[in-house]
Order: sequence, then structure tokens, then C-alpha cells
Amino acid sequence: MTSPLLSSSELRSGESMHDVALAVRDLNFYYGDHHALHDITLDFPARCVTAMIGPSGCGKSTLLRVFNKIYDLYPGQRATGEVMFDGRNILESSTNLDMLRSRIGMVFQKPTPFPMSIYDNIAFGVKLHEKLSRTEMDERVQDVLTRVALWNEVRDRLSAPAAGLSGGQQQRLCIARSIATRPEVLLLDEPTSALDPISTARIEELLDELKEEFTIAIVTHNMQQAARCADRVAFFYLGGLVEVDTADRIFTNPRQKQTQDYITGRFG
Amino acid sequence: MRAPMKQAVAVHELGSNVAQRDRWSLGRKALRRRIVDYLATGASIAAAGVLLLVLASILWSLLSRGLAGVSWATLTRPMGPPGSGGGLANAIIGSILQTGLALLMAAPVGLMCGIYLSEYGRKGNYFASTVRFVADVLMSAPSILIGLFIYQLLVAPFGHFSGFSGAVALAVLALPVIVRTTEDMLRLVPTAMRESGAALGAARWRVTLFLCLRSARKGVMTGVLLALARMGGETAPLLFTSLGNQIMSLNMNKPMASLPIAIYQYAGASYDDWVQLAWTGALLVTFGVLLINITVRLASRR
Repeated sequence: MTSPLLSSSELRSGESMHDVALAVRDLNFYYGDHHALHDITLDFPARCVTAMIGPSGCGKSTLLRVFNKIYDLYPGQRATGEVMFDGRNILESSTNLDMLRSRIGMVFQKPTPFPMSIYDNIAFGVKLHEKLSRTEMDERVQDVLTRVALWNEVRDRLSAPAAGLSGGQQQRLCIARSIATRPEVLLLDEPTSALDPISTARIEELLDELKEEFTIAIVTHNMQQAARCADRVAFFYLGGLVEVDTADRIFTNPRQKQTQDYITGRFG
Repeated sequence: MRAPMKQAVAVHELGSNVAQRDRWSLGRKALRRRIVDYLATGASIAAAGVLLLVLASILWSLLSRGLAGVSWATLTRPMGPPGSGGGLANAIIGSILQTGLALLMAAPVGLMCGIYLSEYGRKGNYFASTVRFVADVLMSAPSILIGLFIYQLLVAPFGHFSGFSGAVALAVLALPVIVRTTEDMLRLVPTAMRESGAALGAARWRVTLFLCLRSARKGVMTGVLLALARMGGETAPLLFTSLGNQIMSLNMNKPMASLPIAIYQYAGASYDDWVQLAWTGALLVTFGVLLINITVRLASRR
């Protein structure tokens, strides 16, 4: 098995491009008695897109939900091991969840516009962490909406309810909402599985631009999507990490037979 | 032009020894199905008609007998002895005061309790499931029992009936309705909404108030208004608590009149003007409740 850690040559190749944003060490995850993730050790390089693929139930979404500790909402779910982020093990109970989540944003499978205006959807998260004047907030809203290529579509109806947007627009709004709090890492849990191909293409383009600034971890069932968007791809099976490598390598010449079988559609 | 040609070809291909029948004509089974369908549809429509007829006949007799008594005097004069030209003003005001106060008591408690059950008292929480069970029991408890209970609690110890105790009895009646609708409506809010809020770094109370409750606000408001409508027409809880009063009184610490009790007192009287007032009171209560229900419908549609 290849090392899930970045090799020194990989680290050197892109200068500061390849600092490690999230370092996972010996991570185990439990849903009550069910042991869902086994000894995961994996690095997420900064300002790269890392895709997590694998059949349903392999633990890829579970891993994503560890990074912002969203699992903490549910009693009985717990993680052991280490997830190093900015010099701290976030799994320690002393981690302030609100601070953590303002630095590690998350976008879910189904678009979840809040029951308020488009403008307030963006402002909601920002107001939790910063005190901005009205003009600063206006600028922030325009900035993030422009970045998700939604500004031109909604500039005239910022005060309209967000529920009135189309599914693809709603999902871009959710991404805008997540980056508005200026996180360092963006977690995406099958962000395009509920969208049509055109909206999907727009979000994939968006990922390409966003990775200039954010570290992106994306869970996807769509192999083409992983091949198109990701710099690195990690293949999970039965709660374990099978293989992680550059997208090129995984899709052309994987080291593990299981990976080969999965990407060629022989199982899963 | 082409379809008949094709059919002819098909018939030919089936062979000449197969008995041919027109496949468009209804067979015996199909005919039977169709008749049963007509009968069942007819019966359902008739049943719906019966319901409508009941409501229509109630409204019709209320309108035809009660409308005559709706006048400025009825609405502004308090109740009085027979033949004195009394109205229903004190009963109307008493009803508004008691249901209003009851709603002020029941709504905050009911909302908070519903929020607790939905957001904090999910599976495996024995306290919550007990509260839920008690709310269900309370919802179907006979309202006269609630009246007697409040009598023991707030009337007997103080030695006098009061509008306040009437309001408390009504509040007890409204509470389970508000609790259960609030919980049910909040449960309809998808988990993804709560997770999205938390994922932005919002504290739980903020997610609950500004995202969940806000998403569910129409349904929650509907529950509160339905509770209000239910309280407006109740007589039994008031019989032992606010008792009723012939004179105009705004003192919640004294016996207080209300429309349902006025109807109860006047409907069986042998004085024509009192009977007329009973009809008018019934008209006012029924249309008040109807108005609240229509408001609920309009509000929840938007």
C-alpha cells in the first residue's frame, strides 16, 4: 500500500502549495457499537481538491463529518485518534466547535436554504463570527455571490426568499454561505448528487476556482467528477482507506486491485 | 390511415382459428368494475354531502334565528333581567378576556414544551416520552374534568369563582394542542437544516429559534390558532371556574361572564328575549370560531 502521507518529493514539488491542511492519524469512528472507520491515516494538502470515493457505507461521508465535528450533535457517535488542524488535535473535547466550524465549512448533499432572504442566508453565518457594518456586509454578500457565479442571477432579488431559487442556485447559495465566513477548509458531501448536469458542471468549475484559496475535501459517487475535479483521490472500502494517490494515478494505474475493480465498475 | 392497416395485419397474423372479438368492447368483468366504481364514488360523495349538510343546517338555523338579535344594543349592553333589554356585551368581553389570558399562559409554555420535545427529547429520553404521553392524554381528557380540577385548585381554596380560574382552565385545555402541533411541525424540519446551521458555527438555541422554528412558523401558528378556536367554544371548563356573571365586570378575580355560559343559561329559559340572546350568542361564537379557522387556512396556504 502506498503511504497516505505526502511524500517529501510531493511536499517539495509545489513549494507552499502543499502544506498539509488536515492531518488524520489513526482515526477510528464509532456509531454507538458500530465501528465505522478503522485506523484512517491520511493527509489533506492545502489548496488542493481531495476526493473521497467508494461504495455506499464505506465511511467516506463519516470521515468528512469528523472534520467539523458535526457528529457531535448526536450522542453515541465518537471518534478516537488525531485530526491535526492548525497545530491542534480537533478531536480533543476542548475544541470550541463554533470556532472550528467557522474555519471548516460544510456543504451538504441536499441544498438547504434557510427560511429567509438570499441576503440573510449569507449574512446569517457571517454575523455569528464577525461584526460588520451594513456596507461591509453588502460587500461580503456581493463578493461571495460573485465567486459562486450567482450574483448576476440574484442581484435584483436579494431580499426575496432563498427557497424560490432553483436547486442548482440553492446549492451555489449554500456554498456562498459557507465561504462567507472565510473558512480555510471546505467540506462537500456529494454536493451535486441532487442537481442536473448543467448545475453540476457549474459547481465543478467553481471548485476549480475555489481551490486557489480553500482546501477542499469532497465526497462523491461520481467517478468522472472525481477525475475532473480532484488533485488527489482517496478510495475507501468497508470503513478503511484502501489507497490514496493523485487523480491521474488512481484512474489510470491504481496499485490496489480493489481500487481497480471499483473504478472499472466491477463492484460497488 | 395507418392504424387500421396495422390492426388488420395483426389480426391476420393471429391466425384464423383463434376466435376473434372486438377488444374495445367492455367484457362482463370490466362492466362490473365500472358499476362498482360508480357506486363507491357515489357513496363517498353522499357521505361528504351529509357532513356538509350538517354544517350548513347548523349555520342556517343559527343565521335564521340568531341574526335577528344582532344589533348595536346586543353588542353594547350587558346581560339583564328578562324584558329589560339586556345584551351580551359582558359575555363577549368576558370571553375575549378569558381566552386571551388563557392563550397568553398556554402559548409560551406550549411552544417551549413543543421545542423541548422535538429538539431535545428525541428517542430514548424517558422524561420526554412521558411528557408526550401526558400531553396526548390531556388532549383527550373530558373538559369538564379539567374544570373540576381547576375548581379544586383555584376556586375552592379561595372561596369564590373567578375569571382568572376560568382562564387557567382554558389554558390547560389549549396546552396539549399547542405542544403537540409545535412538536409535529418542528419534526418536519429536515435534519439537514439543523446540520447546516451547526456547520456554520451557530449555537443550538440559535439554530432552533432562527432556522427550525422559523421554517415551521406557519404550522406552529396554525396550532396556536386552532387552540384558540377550541377555547372559544368551551363551556364545561368555565362552569366551575368563572361561573358566569350578569353584570359587566373586568375584574379577573370575580366571577366573569362568557358567551358559552350565557348560551347555556339562556337557551333553556322560558323568556323569549333570553332565548333570542342565546341564539345570537351561539351565532357569535360559531362565526368567531369559523373566522379563526378560515384565517388559519389562509395563513397556512401562503
